[in-house]
Amino acid sequence: MIRPTHDFLVLGINHNTAPVLIREKVSFPGNYDGAITRFMTQTGGLLECIVLSTCNRSEIIAVTKDPDSSAENLIRLVSEIHGLNQDRIRPYFYIKKGPEAVRHLFRVTSSLDSMVLGEPQIVGQVKEAFRRDAAANTTGPLLNRLMHRAFFTAKRVRTETGVALSAVSIAYVAVELAKKILGDLEQRQALLVGAGEMAELTARYLANVVKKPIRIINRTFENACLLASQFEGSADSMEKLDDALAMADMVISSTGSCEPIIRFQQMKAVMRRRRHKPIFMIDIAIPRDIEPEVNDLDGVYLYNIDDLQSVVDENIGERRLEAQKADGIVDQEVNKFINWTRSLEWAPTIVALKEKFEEIRTNEMSKMNGKLGSLNEAEKDAIEILTKAIINKIAHGPISFMKQSIKTKKINQHVDFVQRVFGLDEFVSGTEPEEAKTSEYEIDHRN
Amino acid sequence: MHLIFFKVAAIFYLLASIVYVTFLLRSESSRCLSGFGFILAGLVAHTISIVHLFMAEGFFAMATGFNALSLFAWLVVAIYTTIQFRDPNPVLGSMAAPIATVLMLVASTLSYQITQPIVPVLKSWWLPIHVSFALAGNAVFTIMAMAGAMYIFQERLIKRKKIGRFHRILPSLETLDTLNRRALPIGFFFLTLGIISGALWASSAWGSYWNWDPKETWSLITWFAYAAMVHQRLALGWRGKKAAMLALAGFALVMFTFIGVSLLFVGHHSFVSLALRMVQA
Repeated sequence: MIRPTHDFLVLGINHNTAPVLIREKVSFPGNYDGAITRFMTQTGGLLECIVLSTCNRSEIIAVTKDPDSSAENLIRLVSEIHGLNQDRIRPYFYIKKGPEAVRHLFRVTSSLDSMVLGEPQIVGQVKEAFRRDAAANTTGPLLNRLMHRAFFTAKRVRTETGVALSAVSIAYVAVELAKKILGDLEQRQALLVGAGEMAELTARYLANVVKKPIRIINRTFENACLLASQFEGSADSMEKLDDALAMADMVISSTGSCEPIIRFQQMKAVMRRRRHKPIFMIDIAIPRDIEPEVNDLDGVYLYNIDDLQSVVDENIGERRLEAQKADGIVDQEVNKFINWTRSLEWAPTIVALKEKFEEIRTNEMSKMNGKLGSLNEAEKDAIEILTKAIINKIAHGPISFMKQSIKTKKINQHVDFVQRVFGLDEFVSGTEPEEAKTSEYEIDHRN
Repeated sequence: MHLIFFKVAAIFYLLASIVYVTFLLRSESSRCLSGFGFILAGLVAHTISIVHLFMAEGFFAMATGFNALSLFAWLVVAIYTTIQFRDPNPVLGSMAAPIATVLMLVASTLSYQITQPIVPVLKSWWLPIHVSFALAGNAVFTIMAMAGAMYIFQERLIKRKKIGRFHRILPSLETLDTLNRRALPIGFFFLTLGIISGALWASSAWGSYWNWDPKETWSLITWFAYAAMVHQRLALGWRGKKAAMLALAGFALVMFTFIGVSLLFVGHHSFVSLALRMVQA
């Protein structure tokens, strides 16, 4: 009697279930060569295992015969490894089994379970964990297949939905906007007005984006020089503001001035000087440094901190909408995968059935051999083809009967029934991963 | 034979238009790849159709409205394809593909055969030269107008702080303005050559360079408009939104000169009745 008894199990903690204090204690940073994964697999009695550990989550993804006891074992192991009290950390863990475990992994890999929805790093982190643990030999046919489908799902989510398209931080929104106005930013002139703490943060961020030296203007010239020297930029005093504006492609203003520093009439003259070459201005000062009317000038694109924040908010809302679409894709892929695992249950029976029929056929053929001796080769071939066609046609009925059971979810009854009707018990032997391995490649093309 | 390929090309352009427009309305970025695939397939079929036409009927077949429109569509798609390879963006495709489709559909309503015998005056090598330059100029100005439309739309979105999906899929202002800056002199060059070659042809056919035929007049108006544009851009540094709006206005003039004049006025540029008019002249 064949009955695969493996199931998927995910045990983990993440930013939703545990505070950072617990998360940083329950992580596996030293797992470079998969030694921890190997230890878990052996001590925890797992068939296959992957350990995933990022800033926001630690998860053990496993294939096991008995998910419930394995989960208990793993919690005990984790608490022992980290020297924590089991009962204290237990409430922070989530345990997912079977299809729920599959869905969870697909959602994690597609970045639908991330703290920042749609952030792109997680796929790489999951891939890295998989690569490491595959090299450590703790994965097998089921997890290999599962991970392969998880990456496929993540790719579909990325290309078919907008979950990862929009920018969701103020700095990133500003850079994206600058690119939409100015194109490539590397050779653009950036100008900082003000040399305070905000200016320093901005300069640090800008240095990654812009290759040209940053220009800094400040009321107190010394402070401008101080900041400029940090970033190999150039410094000027306030009198040079109009000249600097005429040369700059983007301006970030963050002074502590109570009065606007850049006024409409002044900017109008500057725009004439620059022949209306587009300029992107960001006002992050409160109160504002740049008169809002400046935005009405042709070629000036002025954004203040609230404008940028509302773009961020809108993008987050858009990502949530797209995430619903993405969950639909995840559902489809989970169903496909579950159907595949179910197919593992009938695959050995199909092989046994075909073997039995073939055995009957060859037996009967050899019995007839004496009487068929007078036939020529072509006629013998014809009989071969004929008899093979007959057994294939007969086998088709029970095989599709088993395959249909995927829909009715009565797969075990159907498989049992076929095995008993055709007396297959002596043909089917072994239920374990070796079996699954051979059948994996057989069914692989179907999904 | 060339008609079959023409129809195949038209169908591919139509498919590309459908794919691109659905892309514009929804956000599935994987779709636009298949859109470009359809465009390429259409371009190949279209090229075969045109080459075959020239081999079968000679370059003088350009005199029919059908073939002129077909060649125009081909040029638009060819220029779009070149740009797409250098700087891929799906929005340009969602304008180029429908325009090519419409041109192909309009062409297919016109007669594709030369019904009257071609008069000797048309059987000159000036015909393919003149028509090719004029159509190339038109095609470049068409693409320039598309970039202009996208610029105006993108500029509005940024100015009004409507940073959504359309903003993301549209190219940057810089890209679009560069396209305008590069296309303008090329289009103007072709337009100038088109007018000069037309004048030389007229001189060799009728002995006078300029006959104030309606098309000639309107071409001259168009030429002045673009000459002004080149001047504004180079000498006065007009750029961005102004340049984009001028590109759109110029395009309207080009289209009127190309299609409107041929339909509204009687002259030796009227497509189908071309041969007959020549005889009367």
